[in-house]
Amino acid sequence: MKKIAMFALVSALLAGTAHAQDKVTITVAAFPSLDTSIKAVLPAWNKLHPNITIKLVAQEFADHHNAMTTALATGQGLPDVMAVEIGYVGKFAEGKGLEDLNKAPYNAEQYKKLFTPFTVAQATSADKRFIAMPTDIGPGTLLYRKDVLDKAGVDPAQLNKSWESYLAAGKVIKAKTGASLINTAQSIYGVVSRTNLKAGEGIYFDSKNNLLVGPDNARFLRAFTLAKQVRTEGLDAKIGEWSNEWYDAFKKGTVASQFSGAWLTGSLESYMAPDTKGLWRVENLPEGGYASWGGSFYAIPTAAKNKQWAWEFIKFMTMDKSQQLAAFTINGAFPALLTAQNDNIFSQGVPFLGNQKARVLWRDAARKTQPIDVNKYDSVADQIVNTELTNVLEQGKDIKQALTDARTQILRRAR
Amino acid sequence: MQERVPLPTSRPRRRWSYDRFQQRAAPYMFVSPFFILFLIFGLFPLGFSLFLAFHLWNPLDGLGNWQYVGWDNFKLALGAPDQFWVSLKITVWIGLLSGVPQHLIALPLAFVINQSLRKWQSGISTILFLPYITNAVAITIVFGMLYSENLGLLNYALSVVGLGPVRWLAQPDLVPVSVAVVVFWRYVGWNVILYLSGLQAISEDVYEAATVDGASKVQKFFYITLPLLKPMMFYAFTLTIVGNMQLFEEPFIMVGQAGGSGGAALTSAMHIFNVAFRDLDMGYGSAMAWLLFLAIFVLSMINNYLFSRGGGRQ
Amino acid sequence: MTTQPLETPIATPRPPRQKSRFSFGRAGLWLFVGVACFLSLVPFYLMFVWSSLPSAQIFTVPPHLWFGDALVGNFQKMMTATDNFALRQFWNSLYIAALSTVTTLFFCSLAGFAFAMYDFKGKQYLFGFILITMLIPPLVMDIPSFLVMNNFLHWIGTPRALWVPGMANAFGIFLMRQYIVSALPKSLIEAARLDGASEFGIFMKVVVPLIRPILATLGIVTFVGSWNNFKGALIMRLSEDSTMTLPLSLRKITGGATNVNADWGATLMMVVLTVIPLLIIFLFASRQVISGLTSGAVKD
Repeated sequence: MKKIAMFALVSALLAGTAHAQDKVTITVAAFPSLDTSIKAVLPAWNKLHPNITIKLVAQEFADHHNAMTTALATGQGLPDVMAVEIGYVGKFAEGKGLEDLNKAPYNAEQYKKLFTPFTVAQATSADKRFIAMPTDIGPGTLLYRKDVLDKAGVDPAQLNKSWESYLAAGKVIKAKTGASLINTAQSIYGVVSRTNLKAGEGIYFDSKNNLLVGPDNARFLRAFTLAKQVRTEGLDAKIGEWSNEWYDAFKKGTVASQFSGAWLTGSLESYMAPDTKGLWRVENLPEGGYASWGGSFYAIPTAAKNKQWAWEFIKFMTMDKSQQLAAFTINGAFPALLTAQNDNIFSQGVPFLGNQKARVLWRDAARKTQPIDVNKYDSVADQIVNTELTNVLEQGKDIKQALTDARTQILRRAR
Repeated sequence: MQERVPLPTSRPRRRWSYDRFQQRAAPYMFVSPFFILFLIFGLFPLGFSLFLAFHLWNPLDGLGNWQYVGWDNFKLALGAPDQFWVSLKITVWIGLLSGVPQHLIALPLAFVINQSLRKWQSGISTILFLPYITNAVAITIVFGMLYSENLGLLNYALSVVGLGPVRWLAQPDLVPVSVAVVVFWRYVGWNVILYLSGLQAISEDVYEAATVDGASKVQKFFYITLPLLKPMMFYAFTLTIVGNMQLFEEPFIMVGQAGGSGGAALTSAMHIFNVAFRDLDMGYGSAMAWLLFLAIFVLSMINNYLFSRGGGRQ
Repeated sequence: MTTQPLETPIATPRPPRQKSRFSFGRAGLWLFVGVACFLSLVPFYLMFVWSSLPSAQIFTVPPHLWFGDALVGNFQKMMTATDNFALRQFWNSLYIAALSTVTTLFFCSLAGFAFAMYDFKGKQYLFGFILITMLIPPLVMDIPSFLVMNNFLHWIGTPRALWVPGMANAFGIFLMRQYIVSALPKSLIEAARLDGASEFGIFMKVVVPLIRPILATLGIVTFVGSWNNFKGALIMRLSEDSTMTLPLSLRKITGGATNVNADWGATLMMVVLTVIPLLIIFLFASRQVISGLTSGAVKD
């Protein structure tokens, strides 16, 4: 019986569009701005599948993931297609509510080589289930204001040679132009702590669940020390990301550089600081570090009602080169699909970046990015370490003491 | 307590009288909707969260995949360096910063409006009540714009007189104050209205009699108004305690899920939410929610004790 | 948990007050009240001003503090940002708030009346229980509440998931009881009873007219609470564009790090949209509240 049902499903999948179609509605749950990518390709989908209506439900980013958590916990009220952001995909992979796409009828094993490698690993659970197809990625990049650097007479190459040279450049920029090097010292910690990880290491835990945070860990020690140095030397503007001050600093050029995903370029161009067109450039992160900022996946809940069409839709969104490119050009969603990354558009210059051929740089960065081992207590550690970092920066707490305290607190919670 | 009016004795004795039945049953019928709704919507969630407080459960594992851990979750929360204590301290601090001035200002305000500005009462109380009708999402956007470091009105006003800029939402010791101001702003008018409606229920005769006896305004306030206002004060205090101890939306939307710079405004409610839904440790979250309930209960009992102890005066 | 009810004498109509002359005490009083009113109003003034300014002028130094002419433009931007669902969402919020208010007024005043005016077996325990439920933080009940609504009642995504559970709530019952205890004499009930009224009849015909001011207060509070209910709508998944309530929609168009479309004009227009109906309703109802209060609340 089961086999026959499976066979029917598979043949239905294979038959795809050729089948006489009943009217079907599939629900896709997503968050901004991924919903914009979906809306961008809906006309193409409707043309191809006039009887398959896509019902798009988009909620605020955190609200969406909270709602999905509740739905997965209860196995109820789940959409057919669930969008998952990269910060959640590891956690969701370890749960049991999502379909393993390695298995029939999906057999996604064959498609994995089509995607930027680290994304596939990121969506794979410890027991090797592959739970979500990657759609867009956020290659880490260092944006800087060329005009500010020129004014200060700083060679851009100095920014990413090493952290020490980055800070040295910051001092010159501050002295000559008054601009800050970076929005906040916390950013330095963020990049240092998540780049150049050793094999088998996650950010806070290694693959054997040993906690790495502590006064003896070179990476955290350095990340804290550099952040503290930036603060004491007055090189940061003490501005949080996504704050009004942040946007303002971009508009006025009072902050010379910013670490982020490639997509920030698109946000700057579309609404944060459109008037600064041509003033920005990008390069790789310091010390040959590679990291990802953001990225989205699509998963199918086990309790979904229309798995067949959910899978069709996911394939359409993730493996169809023209849809990937549509999402890229309309919404700035950097394609995870390798063939899409070889499109002509990648060899063109980016006008906002003074026609720099930035997309090639991002593509290479993405391919060099390593998957990061996810631990279920990452968010616990993240909050605790960041609180301790604030203590160091704002209240002058001793770095080693802060890391010791962080370690004690994380160990209690990581049971 | 007053006795019910005795039924006329001339009435023939009946084994069952509809009149008597409906009198006896009425209060039970009247209060039953609450209990029916509670049975349907409250009991199971409560029981479930109590159950979870003794379990380790990652909600993504689905129903049933939990593990009994005894009192571990409670021990974890009460153990020395845990964030729960810190968050309780922050909650109480923000609660005091916003709650105490709320009543210290609302009570005299209601008193003077009631005593001396009766002609303007309608207009004034309407204005004072307006902040209460705003919603947390909307008003934190507006206050966020006021607090903004480079672009905000507050720092602009300070800069005009040569001060600032102040980092309202970034400096750890200022963040609780900035949040408390919003809470204070939203609820002070609400308390004025509560006190006003309480004051209006106090008979003028009492004041007249006191005036005849030569009592001053201040004396009237302390010896007549305050004691007679007690039921309303008890209600208002209770709401402030409960509301402030569960403070969630304002800081959550204003400074973000992590509680802002160094978690300076990470209230207990936010911490519990984060543990349960971000860290996916439902059991620990539930245990802390019950501890928070205990804390609120104790504070309410103290409030109740203080009110009933002073009750002998009238 | 309960306080002693106050035996308040029945109010007599107040004697006319004398017109007071200027004095320093009175000036200080006006200053106190004036400052309080000013501070209450400033944020409202600002949100209205800002909603009429073009996005680029909303958030600047020095600030623009007078109305601009971008009201219509901002309204259109808001409609675009919500895929033209903003007015539908406005209606959703209104519908839920109205139902919630009507039902809450009825059930809470009924229960409050019972607790204030009757002596019945188990009264203290029942009332104490209600008060205790009020103290429970509703925080980690999201998942089980979702379960009840979804599996047992199949109400997820429907408006009644928001207004039914709160129809008879602890806050309302507590408020009603406190007011009735201090404002209505028990003799009133007994008199009505002697006239042959049924208990429910007494409530409807005698009590309800006398507690109008507090009904107006509770009505506003309930309406405001429901109108602004963000968490409930989130958990009960009124998350489609067509079922969303305003707070959810406002958060969607402004909130979160991933939203690249945040626009000050559209945002502030929606902020104003969330405030206006409450403003109108309150300005209407405040008359009821205040006139009820000033008339001495209770007469015999």
